[in-house]
Amino acid sequence: MSLGSTLLRKVRGCDEQGKVGGEMGLRRKIAFFLGCLGAIGALASNSYAQQSTAATTDAPVKVTVIKGLAGVKDNTQGTLIIGDGSMHFAHEAIKSDLATHSIEDVVTGDDSQRVIRGTLGTLSWFAPYGGSRFLALFRTKLDSVTIKYRDADGGLHGAIFTMPVGQAEVIKKDLLAQGARTTVTEADAKSAAATPDAKEKQ
Amino acid sequence: MRGLWMISRAVACLTVMLVCGFGAMAQETPKPVKIKASAIQVDMIHSDEIKLPAEFQVSMYEDLIRQLQKKGGFAHVYREGDRNAASAPDLVTLRSNVTGFKEGSQRKREVTTVAGETEIKIHCIFSDKDGKTLLEADVTGKVRFFGGNLRATYDFAKATTKIAHEHFSSTT
Repeated sequence: MSLGSTLLRKVRGCDEQGKVGGEMGLRRKIAFFLGCLGAIGALASNSYAQQSTAATTDAPVKVTVIKGLAGVKDNTQGTLIIGDGSMHFAHEAIKSDLATHSIEDVVTGDDSQRVIRGTLGTLSWFAPYGGSRFLALFRTKLDSVTIKYRDADGGLHGAIFTMPVGQAEVIKKDLLAQGARTTVTEADAKSAAATPDAKEKQ
Repeated sequence: MRGLWMISRAVACLTVMLVCGFGAMAQETPKPVKIKASAIQVDMIHSDEIKLPAEFQVSMYEDLIRQLQKKGGFAHVYREGDRNAASAPDLVTLRSNVTGFKEGSQRKREVTTVAGETEIKIHCIFSDKDGKTLLEADVTGKVRFFGGNLRATYDFAKATTKIAHEHFSSTT
């Protein structure tokens, strides 16, 4: 075998390898592009799902009962369904029904909570170099709904719920549509929000 | 050596005298005469002058009722508007009016430790069935270090329940 033919064969081999490498790169690029498209699609569908949840009346909303709902412990997470003239809260075996016409006042608000909370949040207090202080900076915004209602004996109760941002107004509208009353109208809420001393609560 | 012994004895004597003195002072403090009240009715918290967020108002009311049921020493604790309260003997009504409110920030408290305190000042009036004032007290609810802003309402409820327990009794 001559030196020239050997060299030619090597060059061809390199060329084929380059083609293979180029194909691999192209495949990676396509896979990355498809991954991005998939992620965008997933996010879009998620936000659409949230929007559609907000739009429907009887759709269950994930809420946390901060305090005050009869028969439900403080800080219990569950689902809230409003319909058929009642407000139904459920968490596993715990269920609580409240007639919406017994609700005298519905007020919405906003709040925030630590991203890292619970047991891990407590343990983070022992983190060195001010780690817990740093973690305390990260908070998520929440909506809150406060209701006042009467029991069968006429006794006044109050309950506070928190829920993801954007859900409070929907819940309020649903409750009002089902016969609940409010002392804070939409116009009042807007004017309160427009006042210069309206501040962000953290 | 002898001097040291004398000094230590003197310090010990002084300590004993101080302890005895404080004990005597504590004994001399007159205990308030308890007013007989078998039941209490709690009205919703009012804030005529101060703009108080609804969640604080409701939280104070609920915490107050819960604390009075647990530690108030009353046979019955009624809510505002409860029809059963009308038939209760020795009923005391508790009205609370917010006189001061400073909403702090949990984030500031956790980050700085010293800033972001939440404080609520409330004027409490205990009255009998005829509306005669039996007791008035100014109570402050605070959260300084740990917990959310609504923890101030728990602090207020505990302090008010303590006052109620000290001045009212269902047996006397």
